[in-house]
Amino acid sequence: MNGVKVDGDQRPAMSVVVIVYNDEARLPTAVRSVLEQTLRSVEVVIVDDHSTDGSYEVARRLAAEHPGRVRAHRLPENSGGCGAPRNRGIQEARGAYVLFLDSDDVLERDACRNFLEAAETTGADLVSGMCVRVHVDSRHRKEVKWYPWLYARTRTFDLITELPDLLVFDTLSTNKCYRRQFLLDAGLEFPVGIHYEDLLFSAQAYVAARRITLIPNRVYDWNVVEKASAKSISNRRAEIANFAHRMEMHRRVDRLLADQGMTELKFRKDVKFLKHDLVLHLRDLPFRDAAYRQEFAALARAYLASIDPAAYDEIEPIHAVCAYLLRMSDWDNLLPAVDTLTNRDKVSAPLTERDGRVYWCAEHIDEDPFARRILDVTELGYHTRPVGKLFPRNELTEYRQDEQQGKGGVVRLAGRVTNPLGVIPGGARLSAELEFYARRQGLRFQTFRFPVAAVRHEGPYVSWEASADLAKGLRPLGIVDAVWDVRLHLDVDGERTTTRLTATRPGLVSGEVPVRPRLTRLVADRIEPEVSSRGHLAFRLVPGKKANDLVVRGLRGTPGRLAKTGYRKAKALRAKATGGETKLRLYHDCFQRMPVRKRLVVFESHLGRQYSDSPRAIYEEMRRQGLDFEAVWSYTGRPQGFPADATLVRRWSLPYLRALARAEFWIDNQSYPLKLTKRPGTTYIQTWHGSALKRMGFDEAGWKLKSRAEQAEQQRSLDRFDHFLIRSEHDVRTLAKAFRLREKTLLRVGYPRNDALVAARGATERPPLADELGIPAGKKVLLYAPTFRHHGQRRFALPFDVDRFAEEFGDQYVLLVRAHYLNHVVLPPSVRGRVIDVSDHHDVTPLLALADALITDYSSVMFDYALLDRPMLFFPHDYEEYVHEGRGTYFDLLERAPGPVVRTEDELRSVLATSSLEEQSVKYAAARERFVADFGEYDEGTAAQRIVEEFFGKWRKA
Amino acid sequence: MTGRDIFLVSNSVDELGGVTSWSHQMARLFTERGHRVHVIGITTPEDPHDLGELPYPTTRLYAGQPPAPGRARDASMRDKAGVLTNLFRAARPGGVVIVTQVWAMEWVKLADTAGLTVIGMSHESFETSKRSSRFRRVLKHYADVDRMLVLTREDADLWIGAGLNNASYLPNAVPWLPEVPSPRTEKAVISIGRLSDEKGVDMLLDTWAEVASRHPGWVLKIYGSGEDEEILRKQCTALGLDDSVLWMGRTSDVPGALRGGSVFALSSRGEGFPLALMEAMAMGVPCAAFDCAPGVHEIIRDGEDGLLARPGNTGELARKLDLLMSDAGLRDRMGDAARENIRRYGADEIAGRWEALFGFLDR
Repeated sequence: MNGVKVDGDQRPAMSVVVIVYNDEARLPTAVRSVLEQTLRSVEVVIVDDHSTDGSYEVARRLAAEHPGRVRAHRLPENSGGCGAPRNRGIQEARGAYVLFLDSDDVLERDACRNFLEAAETTGADLVSGMCVRVHVDSRHRKEVKWYPWLYARTRTFDLITELPDLLVFDTLSTNKCYRRQFLLDAGLEFPVGIHYEDLLFSAQAYVAARRITLIPNRVYDWNVVEKASAKSISNRRAEIANFAHRMEMHRRVDRLLADQGMTELKFRKDVKFLKHDLVLHLRDLPFRDAAYRQEFAALARAYLASIDPAAYDEIEPIHAVCAYLLRMSDWDNLLPAVDTLTNRDKVSAPLTERDGRVYWCAEHIDEDPFARRILDVTELGYHTRPVGKLFPRNELTEYRQDEQQGKGGVVRLAGRVTNPLGVIPGGARLSAELEFYARRQGLRFQTFRFPVAAVRHEGPYVSWEASADLAKGLRPLGIVDAVWDVRLHLDVDGERTTTRLTATRPGLVSGEVPVRPRLTRLVADRIEPEVSSRGHLAFRLVPGKKANDLVVRGLRGTPGRLAKTGYRKAKALRAKATGGETKLRLYHDCFQRMPVRKRLVVFESHLGRQYSDSPRAIYEEMRRQGLDFEAVWSYTGRPQGFPADATLVRRWSLPYLRALARAEFWIDNQSYPLKLTKRPGTTYIQTWHGSALKRMGFDEAGWKLKSRAEQAEQQRSLDRFDHFLIRSEHDVRTLAKAFRLREKTLLRVGYPRNDALVAARGATERPPLADELGIPAGKKVLLYAPTFRHHGQRRFALPFDVDRFAEEFGDQYVLLVRAHYLNHVVLPPSVRGRVIDVSDHHDVTPLLALADALITDYSSVMFDYALLDRPMLFFPHDYEEYVHEGRGTYFDLLERAPGPVVRTEDELRSVLATSSLEEQSVKYAAARERFVADFGEYDEGTAAQRIVEEFFGKWRKA
Repeated sequence: MTGRDIFLVSNSVDELGGVTSWSHQMARLFTERGHRVHVIGITTPEDPHDLGELPYPTTRLYAGQPPAPGRARDASMRDKAGVLTNLFRAARPGGVVIVTQVWAMEWVKLADTAGLTVIGMSHESFETSKRSSRFRRVLKHYADVDRMLVLTREDADLWIGAGLNNASYLPNAVPWLPEVPSPRTEKAVISIGRLSDEKGVDMLLDTWAEVASRHPGWVLKIYGSGEDEEILRKQCTALGLDDSVLWMGRTSDVPGALRGGSVFALSSRGEGFPLALMEAMAMGVPCAAFDCAPGVHEIIRDGEDGLLARPGNTGELARKLDLLMSDAGLRDRMGDAARENIRRYGADEIAGRWEALFGFLDR
């Protein structure tokens, strides 16, 4: 089909303005992507920005080849930007809608059709689609979607204020389709003579549009060419100039928003500036010299002054800290902060504690209340991290090749490790070693260590010095271990913390160091230091020119290809051999064919996360009675805290599978891997881990929705239970029914874990745990144990002001906080000694036994704690949401709670303030009795003994 | 442009099923509006449904089933594609091929469709496709059609996200808009659908167990038959619901069935654009349904002309049924609103959207 396919009024539906400057090679591809659109009613308007190559000739040729579909125009002189040619394109366009395309990019083939359908059905002035950045020189043409969350679904709105994120994040002009008349009526033009023209143009268009539609369709491929060019001085000049342009554009957009009274938009934009734009530049700062930093800071400071201070509350603490310190030009504190910005786990500053809060630095906070707010990093929980879980900053202060010894093969290194909040005490035993290791995975045997001669405690820092004889001690293979990373292990009273060496200071590290290769000097006899993008010291082998050429040819040629595919195949084979499917096959076809090992018992609690609960209670009872059996405990993560007198196996490891396949008994409280079948010779005692308030199993929507086949599979895993422990008839009506268990599997003996609670009932003496936790004798213990919360990721916000709580009740009570093991809570230092985080304790039972009263919301510990007959307080602050948004409950907690139910923080405080625990205890005695009768009638304190009697009695040693 | 040649290609022309009925419904509509329609089926089922006198021609590519996949199938496919090519070549400019099921596309793909607009359709929700082998096949065989159509905007967006950039949507039409609505006098909740796992009648029984005791005098009438009937009847007995559940068997008189009740319940695990809901609403019967597909909340405006519950949450569906059963005024309000609102899926309305689409794809 030749000639433009025109609509009734002889105009094309769409005009695509293709701008070009000195890009003759790629222009035809861009134009072809328009001509091959599925929508035929499209014209191409090429505008050449006065190229000095053949771009204009190419454009004219394309126009001649496609008369009526392609037109070519040329600006009389070069404009140096994208604005002028695009403006010309708008003037020349005849279509009802206008798009912009750069000569190095392409349109997706359905782009125009999808734009047009959306525009015509919604009547939008502006339709925006998804842009994809294509990294054309990456190995697999990596594609990155541009702000995909904005384009997850089709949506239409009348004003940009309904979706501020669009203006704030998607500042491109090219992934959009504009109604031409809208552009003309609103007088929209690109600014000329300044970079980042898209920022202003897109903002103006968003603000002027009376209807905007977003479509999830990919419309525009933005081809990105990674340039590995070094940052030369002239580049840096250009960078500063660019940054100045960028700031100017931001100012103009801000003015536009202010003129329109769009304060919310301006605010969201401020937040984004602090969170994203500024961060991009800050990350480069440590690598730059002082002159650059000064210029950058001057530009940034001027703009930061216009940012709404409230925006600092919307961003992560470390972002706010950086922005504030930049504003103050406090380089000493800013550079470590930027280190944490880049390496999020790292603790970079010595920090300071003031009035029970933790601050980034001691400066500023006394004179400036705003600083006090911004520099407060308590919620990051640094103060709760022991030395072993610290990743402190280690700043390299000296790097020097010792010319005296050898031929420069000895490198003298010195540095200082941050000691946050004095977590490394003055008198600690200190030692350290340097470790060089090959970066490539699978080469960990290539690790070489060097002693650190001096380690000194210097208050907020620990300084160190070392002489590493690399010429002697570092032995690379060559090629495969081309890059070497360095770390320093610091041992503090036997506890180890590991650091990386931050070497960002310009000019600090340089020079080549001779090393002793393992194989041949041809490929590796020198290394030179470099700094990784994260700012850490590393070394790179200096390739011998001749050998390197040889190697490169080999790698790219047939032998290299063969070696690579062989390596990949071996890797794939290894992955397969250690993968889940293979393990399952091994379990079923091999391990299960071995005979059952009599007296082998495998224990597991909460999928191996803990040594706790009823499996532990049964295990300890078996040990107490001195039974003759072989115990295996499963663990996930680290085996610390699990019993030393059992065989420990990692969950899903081969020893774990072998033990399960051959065991005579399985004892756990949640579930062994669903796909593992159980042989008839094995007896599975499922203790379960709590009575149910929430609907469970097949009473839950998720399970009901499963197809019959899926339900049958689920049922097969439940049918593995030979015995299921029951605490009350409530369990029979709920859990047993929800899991569709057969009556004969139900074991009405109560929970072994609760034997200790029945025993502790009426106890007058406090368990030793009180001393371990440092609880003074005169104070009562409250335990706050809420249930698991999904929202807010892993960090869990307490539903009350913990400082105020400590303030008001700290002289009477110690509050223990136990978050669900999937949640994490941070307590400020201010409440030290008055509020204690006990989430790390494996087993909740001793905590229950210790607590004089319990505060919970819906956690099933309520059913257990009731056995102690001590006061209980219910704080279901989000009851409606929990009951109705969640999966629903088996009974109404508000009706049957055996203690006061408070719904707000104020109510909680008032109950605690107005009535003593003793009064509570008396008032709700009858209710508690009823509660125990309903939910714990079989918990008589003998569960573990009864189970041992029934199943293991014959194992008693004669 | 009027008077197009339109080919509707499905797995078969004469089997009982949602997509086949849809094809004939649209064929009739297009014919009435002056288009030349041809309905084509790939296979012929063993006991073909009697279609009666049709105002348009039909073609079956195979007298029975095609050969099993393999060389014989491939050869026969090329052969049958030739038959299609001959039919297509006879079309005037502006002709349209609508492939209603992705399996049929495997044949159409081999035929010559030059000069014709090809539209591929998926009549189920994205999530339902995702759970079946059709997902990959849709992505593969519909990648190059001129437009890929699903039933709702939401489903289209999901397909676009999965990489089908040519996806768009067009809802189904309600088959009839009766003059007289249900009187809504009988104390009965109606369910109509195949008795299969997909339709979730097991969950409806669980729901009914939670609500029936609060409403003595009310019954649940379950229309339909299917492979799960025996299991479901057993479940009903086990739940002690035999007194209040009536097993009505299959019906060909849907309006009649709806006249015998005042509330409609839909408890499916998955749906596309459920006809049963539209029919109930057209009869002025308010619905309570699991929101198991975009098509469901597209049809029902929750709280305005019906009530939705989260899929599988039988407690919630029971509460919604309870609301409707307890309040005759609410039933009337929602029933009347439903009858009015469902008109947006009227036959003329939908046929008009199809014609607009044909025109759009010509541009």
